[in-house]
Amino acid sequence: MKPFALHDLVDDRPHDGVFRVARTLFRDQALFELEMKHVFEGGWIFVGLATQAENPHDYFTSFIGRVPIIVSRDGEGELRCFVNACPHKGVRLIQKVCGNARRHICPYHSWTFDSAGTNRNIKWKKSGCYGEGFDDDSHDLAPVAQFGEYRGFLFASLNPDVPSLEDHLGEARKLLDLIVDKSPVGAVELVPGRVTFTYAANWKMQLENCSDQYHFTSTHPSYIRILEQRAKEESAQVVKSSIAASEFWQEDASGVTGGTMSFDHGHVLNWGVMPVSAALPEFEHAEEWARLHGEAKRNWMFNMRNLTIFPNLQIAENASSQIRVIRPIAANLTEMQTWCIAPRGESDEARSFRIRQYEDFFNPTGMATPDDTVCYEEAQLGMAAQERPWLQGHARGLTASVEGGNDYSDMIELRPARSVLADAQLCDESLFGSYYRAWAQRMSEVLA
Amino acid sequence: MSALTQAEAARILYEEALLLDRLDFDPWIAMYTTDCIFWMPAWRDDGTQTEDPDRELSLIYYKGRRNLEDRVQRIRSGFSVASAVMPRVSHMIGNVLVSDGDGDVVRVASTFIVNVHDVRTRRNHAYFGRYEHELRLDDGAWKISRKVIRLMNDVVPTMLDIYGI
Repeated sequence: MKPFALHDLVDDRPHDGVFRVARTLFRDQALFELEMKHVFEGGWIFVGLATQAENPHDYFTSFIGRVPIIVSRDGEGELRCFVNACPHKGVRLIQKVCGNARRHICPYHSWTFDSAGTNRNIKWKKSGCYGEGFDDDSHDLAPVAQFGEYRGFLFASLNPDVPSLEDHLGEARKLLDLIVDKSPVGAVELVPGRVTFTYAANWKMQLENCSDQYHFTSTHPSYIRILEQRAKEESAQVVKSSIAASEFWQEDASGVTGGTMSFDHGHVLNWGVMPVSAALPEFEHAEEWARLHGEAKRNWMFNMRNLTIFPNLQIAENASSQIRVIRPIAANLTEMQTWCIAPRGESDEARSFRIRQYEDFFNPTGMATPDDTVCYEEAQLGMAAQERPWLQGHARGLTASVEGGNDYSDMIELRPARSVLADAQLCDESLFGSYYRAWAQRMSEVLA
Repeated sequence: MSALTQAEAARILYEEALLLDRLDFDPWIAMYTTDCIFWMPAWRDDGTQTEDPDRELSLIYYKGRRNLEDRVQRIRSGFSVASAVMPRVSHMIGNVLVSDGDGDVVRVASTFIVNVHDVRTRRNHAYFGRYEHELRLDDGAWKISRKVIRLMNDVVPTMLDIYGI
């Protein structure tokens, strides 16, 4: 007997022009436990960047769902990913968020492992009177079932039975290329300084918000007004603003201002036209990029792009550039780990401009994100409503959504599964369908 | 011999804390020099903080009082849901030490706890850490020319604004 039926959670009837999501999906703790097992511990998850463990024996720690993990570069320079738990008693082997060590010694009984995860010592093994079968088990750290890298982005899966990473990312790889190719040395790095915050609402609120163009002028008018003032003021004292110099979000803008694309496996892009102008930190490279990558790809590198690699990685490239990792804690609690991501090798001026815009926009101590996270929490309260089980927030753009790409995606030979070309007021919500179809796919074993 | 006594320096810090407790932002901003630095570094890893605001990320970094005015404008705008129901806050400052200084500039170290009651959610939070104030004699009055807020508990529950630190 399966505990939940998909048709009670996601009402996906394209022929009737209906796509609805039930409030239960955000609220139910039993469903949440299944999501941890099947969505987060059952498929590909983003775990970090290769530049976080650059040198031999560098490591960093994280989680896949509820499972603690280590990403370690071994002595030969190969990246590996293990469960961060000693095989002896299950104790978390490494407590630090990052570091460098040739040997990892369990704090409880001193079992020792090298940076490749191989067991190097079991304390007093010879005098331990172990039974014959003891060495039938591997005493090494348990490697995750699948681990792979695409241009410095590291992904892992605890479930061995998943498509290849190449298949999982599919066409969305080209969107990661747009980020990495900004670097003259082909690498992105995290700007030092990690920012972590929590909010008392479901992880899917964040998942959707990143791709939700509809909220921007409603949730952030207080911030937008400041950006507009700053753009006019142009004094050295105020933080410079890139967003105010673009039109994609302004309600009176005419013509195509951006749109959305959805890809297989739940990856989505929400994008807006940004001019190739000095309002962006990248402007110093405008001509060079056109020469190296062609004008079309260069223009795409300047566009506002909010990319989600389902289910836990979001990269926002607009005024600045942010990488967000979603870590669900409970049905009504989520932890967000965020960094400023930057092309390695950019100039000091570009870096400092990127950082200044980042702080005001993205930080939980800034002027925009708090208005988002408070809305998530208010939404979570509303999810308790029982009398109307279905939300109405996944319906915009349904009739604008077409199979395949459009002129804009064609420019860079990008082949989305579906796409929407939008004026400033369309603000497509149909792209969320891609999230829930991928979600249902990962949950298929437990949904009737 | 510092230009400010320990008690005089502490009094300036207490006044700032009181203005923030009262959410009385205009006189609070007036305590700063126009070219002030207002800086809350982020944490690089478990034990070290970011040090170079131009190459590393901060939780907040402003050069110029003008930017603090932006923060206050947003809080008062009526268009920020995070500021619609204002939290109640109470600053406690301790361990005030005039560390060094001469003539027109004095540096003061202190510790802080800000207790926050988030009225909207009925949750309580305590933010704590260390302040580093640089006070400067500006037209005959002591003003804050630099404030560093070293926040120890940097996992932020939902949001944290200038009155909560």
